[in-house]
Amino acid sequence: MKVLLFGMIAEKAGATEVDITAVSTHALKGELEQRIPGLDRMSYALAVDRRIVKEDAPLTGQEEIALLPPFAGG
Amino acid sequence: MSGEKTHKQRDIFVEGAIPASFIAESIAKHASRTDIGGHEIFLGQVRADQQPGTNNHQRTVAIDYTAYRDMANEQMTFIREEAFARWPQMTCLHVHHSQGIIKAGELCFMVFASAPHRQQAREAVAFVTDEVKKRLPIFGKEIFAEGGHVWKTNDLRDAGSSPA
Repeated sequence: MKVLLFGMIAEKAGATEVDITAVSTHALKGELEQRIPGLDRMSYALAVDRRIVKEDAPLTGQEEIALLPPFAGG
Repeated sequence: MSGEKTHKQRDIFVEGAIPASFIAESIAKHASRTDIGGHEIFLGQVRADQQPGTNNHQRTVAIDYTAYRDMANEQMTFIREEAFARWPQMTCLHVHHSQGIIKAGELCFMVFASAPHRQQAREAVAFVTDEVKKRLPIFGKEIFAEGGHVWKTNDLRDAGSSPA
């Protein structure tokens, strides 16, 4: 599945999206933290279909996933 | 009452700074709505912060704003619905946020509410401004005069007293 990256996370990864296969949000975070250097020490939220998901949730691969660093609007 | 209250999703993002003339035109457009008794406007301006943690207290000359646009616009629709539920007499609410590089001193954010009486417009603008800062996935890269950058993070511990 395609994972959208933003802000300082996109900068760390050197990309605005990555392709990853995972069966749950928990597994996805593990994969992403392996792939993106320093992500495990960063503050970020995971959005599934444009909603922030905090608990572990199953993924079918059809979702729109995004990794969101701290917000800075305004 | 008007199309304003149907809450269809809109795109709040504008490329570059918000010109002062755009705000004047926004005000002028409301002249035909004679049921309005007051407008309240919040304008966010890019501040030339000194970064205490950096060499020579580097100074911000611009912020490069990016956003997860689909989610931000969807969240804005929810915030708009909440605002109209809390202040049902509000006549209209307009929100715009910049994308791209905005120089210090330029405007990057506008919240504009109108209502028959001032209290509803005032309270709605305060609420919407804080919720946008909390809930919209907008990211800001503060660019230094001397080169380099830092990622801006909104301080949400006390939205009432946080820096704009």
